[in-house]
Amino acid sequence: MTRIVIIPAYQEAQRVGQVVEQIRSALPDFQIVVVDDGSSDATSQVAKEAKARVLRHPFNLGYGAALQTGYKYALRCNASLLVQMDADGQHDPADAHTLIEPVERGELDIVIGSRFLGLGDYQMGALRSSGRRFFQALLASLGLRISDPTSGYQALSRAALVFHSADDFPSDYPDVDVLLAAHRSGLRIGERPVTMRESPRVSSLHSGFAPLFYVYKMLLSLWATSTRPRKS
Amino acid sequence: MGNELRLEELRAIFLSAPESTSTRVLAALLSLALVVIVLALVRRRVLREEYTPIWLMVAFGIALLSLFNPLLTWLTRALGAWTPSSAIFFLGQVFLVAICLNYAVRLSGLVLQVKNLSQEVAILRALHEARESAPGSPPKSLE
Repeated sequence: MTRIVIIPAYQEAQRVGQVVEQIRSALPDFQIVVVDDGSSDATSQVAKEAKARVLRHPFNLGYGAALQTGYKYALRCNASLLVQMDADGQHDPADAHTLIEPVERGELDIVIGSRFLGLGDYQMGALRSSGRRFFQALLASLGLRISDPTSGYQALSRAALVFHSADDFPSDYPDVDVLLAAHRSGLRIGERPVTMRESPRVSSLHSGFAPLFYVYKMLLSLWATSTRPRKS
Repeated sequence: MGNELRLEELRAIFLSAPESTSTRVLAALLSLALVVIVLALVRRRVLREEYTPIWLMVAFGIALLSLFNPLLTWLTRALGAWTPSSAIFFLGQVFLVAICLNYAVRLSGLVLQVKNLSQEVAILRALHEARESAPGSPPKSLE
């Protein structure tokens, strides 16, 4: 069965090549897939030169949609396991094995690489940190205890890929709402400690009214998810 | 008590006052213009046929209310409004909210379809490139 690493990338021509090389060194048996979310720079070209398989959106669809393209591709390739990492070099591929093992042993369906379980000294701004704590507490009150619900560093089983390929997977930021939906559907979710570097780029999520909209959308989505009938 | 009576009398005066002929003619012309515009848009393939019934019904409704004054008076009483213009304004607002909500629902569906199509394009393009790079023997993982 194929094992795949997906890297959603948007305007990452500067870094994606190096990230692909690092992943290849750490995970030589994995097929590396870069999902270029409609970049106008040379992201696709750089990824191809680094010998990655490139899935290119004809235009920008969003981070969540890029991830989901990778999930759908992995299912098409009959993949048994998928690891997702960001293209900005924030995630250390050397930590991937700790995420992969519980999935390969059949113990968990989604393993999240957590910044807050003792490894490294990841610093978060006060506003982001309080937002994370708020959603963490909200998620806990709904029955799911996760220390780093917004981490994009994850390993997924085939069952999780099938679940995430549904039409209700968000196109923008699949975070706590998706985890709650997966938990309620019976998928087993766990965490492992990883080291994470500060992202070199400022996320559009952290500027202007975007954080307010994010909080509003997550609250609405969490409410909708927690009141819908459970799907399996 | 006296004040209430005067208000009721005032309301009755409002309701019994006929709409001016110019207003009714203007409304009738507006409805006719709406029909003409809708048909012209369909003819130019700018508006699809399935979206026309709602606008033709609106035009028909405006024409009906402008040509049959008793109907407008009855509607105004039924809605509890004082003047026919208030009743029409209220109905217009309700219609606009309903149609905006309807379009938001349609738009959500279209966004989903565009996303699914784009993802499919990206996957098929990658599979196609994989086959082209290895003619005759597509990679095992892509089968």
